[in-house]
Amino acid sequence: MGLEIKFIERKVHPVMYVIVPLAAFSLAFLCGGILMSWAGVNPIAGYGAFISGIIGSHVKFADTLVRTTSFLLIAVGLAFALRARVFNIGAEGQYIMGAIVGTWVALTLQDHLPPALTITISLIMAIIVGGLWAGFAGYLKATLGINEIVLTVIMNWLAFKLLQWLLRGPLKNPLSEMWPMSPPVKAKIPVILPGTRLHLGFILAILIAIGGYFLMFKTNYGFKLRVVGVNPNAAKYAGYDVKKIIISSMVLSGGLAGLAGAIEILAVYHFLYEGISIGLGYTSIIVALVGKLHPLAIIPSALMFGALYNGVVYLQSALGVSYTLSKAMEGMIYLFVLISEVFLKYRIAIVRR
Amino acid sequence: MKKPIVSMRGIVKKFPGVVANDHIDLDVYEGEVLALLGENGAGKTTLMNILYGLYRADKGEIYVKGKKVHFKSPKDAIAHGIGMVHQQFMLVDELTVVENIILGLKEYGIVLNLKEAVKKIKKLAKEIGFKIDPWQKIWQLSAGEKQRVEILKALFRNIKVLILDEPTSVLTPQETRELFKTIRKLVVNNIAVIFISHKLHEVMEIADRIVVLRKGKVVGRLKREEANPQILAKLMVGREVFLEITRKPKKPGPVVLEVKGLKALSDKGILALKGISFRVRTGEIVGIAGVAGNGQKELAEVLYGLRKPLEGRIYLFGRDITDKNICERIKMGISLIPENRLGLGIVGDFSVAENLILERIDENLFSTNLPLLSKLNIKKINGETLLKYSKKLIDEFNIATPSPYAKARTLSGGNVQRLILARELGRKPRFVIAEEPTAGLDVSATEYVRKLLLEMREQGYSILLISGDLSEVLSLSDKVMVMYEGEIVGAFKPEEVTVDDVGLMMTGVKRMPEEAIKRIWD
Repeated sequence: MGLEIKFIERKVHPVMYVIVPLAAFSLAFLCGGILMSWAGVNPIAGYGAFISGIIGSHVKFADTLVRTTSFLLIAVGLAFALRARVFNIGAEGQYIMGAIVGTWVALTLQDHLPPALTITISLIMAIIVGGLWAGFAGYLKATLGINEIVLTVIMNWLAFKLLQWLLRGPLKNPLSEMWPMSPPVKAKIPVILPGTRLHLGFILAILIAIGGYFLMFKTNYGFKLRVVGVNPNAAKYAGYDVKKIIISSMVLSGGLAGLAGAIEILAVYHFLYEGISIGLGYTSIIVALVGKLHPLAIIPSALMFGALYNGVVYLQSALGVSYTLSKAMEGMIYLFVLISEVFLKYRIAIVRR
Repeated sequence: MKKPIVSMRGIVKKFPGVVANDHIDLDVYEGEVLALLGENGAGKTTLMNILYGLYRADKGEIYVKGKKVHFKSPKDAIAHGIGMVHQQFMLVDELTVVENIILGLKEYGIVLNLKEAVKKIKKLAKEIGFKIDPWQKIWQLSAGEKQRVEILKALFRNIKVLILDEPTSVLTPQETRELFKTIRKLVVNNIAVIFISHKLHEVMEIADRIVVLRKGKVVGRLKREEANPQILAKLMVGREVFLEITRKPKKPGPVVLEVKGLKALSDKGILALKGISFRVRTGEIVGIAGVAGNGQKELAEVLYGLRKPLEGRIYLFGRDITDKNICERIKMGISLIPENRLGLGIVGDFSVAENLILERIDENLFSTNLPLLSKLNIKKINGETLLKYSKKLIDEFNIATPSPYAKARTLSGGNVQRLILARELGRKPRFVIAEEPTAGLDVSATEYVRKLLLEMREQGYSILLISGDLSEVLSLSDKVMVMYEGEIVGAFKPEEVTVDDVGLMMTGVKRMPEEAIKRIWD
């Protein structure tokens, strides 16, 4: 007798979009707890540290929001590319390019211009270069039909290698001796909550998410972009310039990733080093997907992932949980969230044929 | 009384939102042609897919030779002697006829013994009077030949009941006649044929018994002697329909579209248009007859701008538009009502209202300027005018939708076509390419579309009508051209020719002289 697993699409009550991810988190935590006790860590203490890492104090919560900022910016950008069905896996590289350009411009201008102007110019340049970096991949996809996934992954490596080379050459801090790092950036994005690291970039990211929502759902551009994503043939038939939309969605996506990179330097690290590339660009793909590629829904999604990220980091530093274990827990949570998506959308039935 | 070879009892099949089959009883006897007649969506194909093991019925039983059976897949159905030829052929283009026929048969094992199979195929083909080369690749065959391969494939498996789903929809009149001959031979060999169709005259010609379905229920069981087209039509749609169309004579106006020496490649890189020239004038319908796949699709795409021509020029109101893109052509008043409605014509996940302005979203009427961003052609969608405009079109074209916000893919086939027509005609185009505008529509929707096309003609629109339905082309068009292998092999006024002549042209047997074809465009 043949058995078959069927995915039956179902109607979902909006509340479920909140409940199901939360349930997924709980399950992931349960498994994570087992993992921790297996590794000899008391899970209760572990989760205590985890939660305290997120909201333990206003400083920690502010740090969570700082992490949220980069996720939010990158994921909102990705939402545009993914909605147009351009699989931009290159946010990491675009983010690195933004960080490089932001640093470079700031270092060049900071002794000649006031900080506000230095910051503004360096952010704008980061957007432009991030946008061009991604737009190049979009251009090759649109005109030559080159697979954007392969292309953007390769370009991520290119960006990272460029970063490594610059830090050992033109951008190297002469005082840092053997450490590959840039000279300090003196122009700093202002902090909005004194005593914490929460900076103006967070407000900017929220505004960009709102603007992104407007662009995607309330303008003719967003309309055409979404048509290209769901039915490219109909878009062509309706006379849309599909190539232009593909390229521009990548430019938007790369521009925001570049902006996130520059903000990270100008607000958080204040110098450039290899450690800025920690996979935020990849994680942001999940952030965007969990946020349903909807710029406003990406706000809570980014917050969730920002919290998760910082919680795991704190768990690691506070309890001395190994890096691998904490990464495993992080991965498990992603996995559960992604699987829960499937269960949310579909009723899964085993049927006899 | 003879015992039925297949009996279906109380078959119920529900799909989300519809009851496709509502307690249907059906008997099939040896050596008869049973016609299943009904509009699209009446449940004919669903019922047969259940009999063929593709679907499982929610309720009801199937008996073969009096024994109750449960089919888990078509394999079981075939094992019980039931075969089916689908509307879309299930053949592998790259393989030969013989390979396709033995595909999936275990007894031919891993090392294929094709020669033996070929012998059997040739014998079977001879029995029913087919001419076929078993070593030919499927892609080299015409639609009619592919259908024969499908029939042979079924016979090869020793079936006793053969289901033919809308078998004539892809055939020329001659091929249809050939098919009917084949069916008669099958019947003589004691095979039962279930013939699914919505074409009345075919059913009247070939069927011994007729079962009429409407909305999932059997509404009539008749012997052929008891039936006539009027009775059947009434049963099918539940009311009287006009089967005849009257076209008022009209003097054509100035030339709207002129095409000179158009050549273009198909997707496969074969020359699909081999130098096409014609003219369309204001207020006339120019029909293109021909078996699907003779360049009609490519012609429509080239005219609309979806495909680039190799050679030749296209003029709209005397202006060369050959190098213009689709957007510019739309602005100049070209419109395409595509055959591929769901894939090209609508965006299923978008609302009806949004679909109604798909091509007009950039217009200032629907998008208001924003400061700065307007330079980048980014404008704010004007929701209110959009809604008002879509409501107007929904009323005007009678689109049955729960609301303008309903997703377009929830509409029925006929209403999807109404939506497309509403959108295309709503922007007042000057030249309309109607590609298979009634294909797959039920009788009432077909009637609506045909009336609308004639109405447009009255209003002075120019229409290029591409249709595989010969009677449609002949009854609606002022002028007809026949396409065969990328060429125009005939052009005439419909009253000047007989259906048989057209059929011969469609199959490449007959060809009008060059001068006679040219004469028609002056």
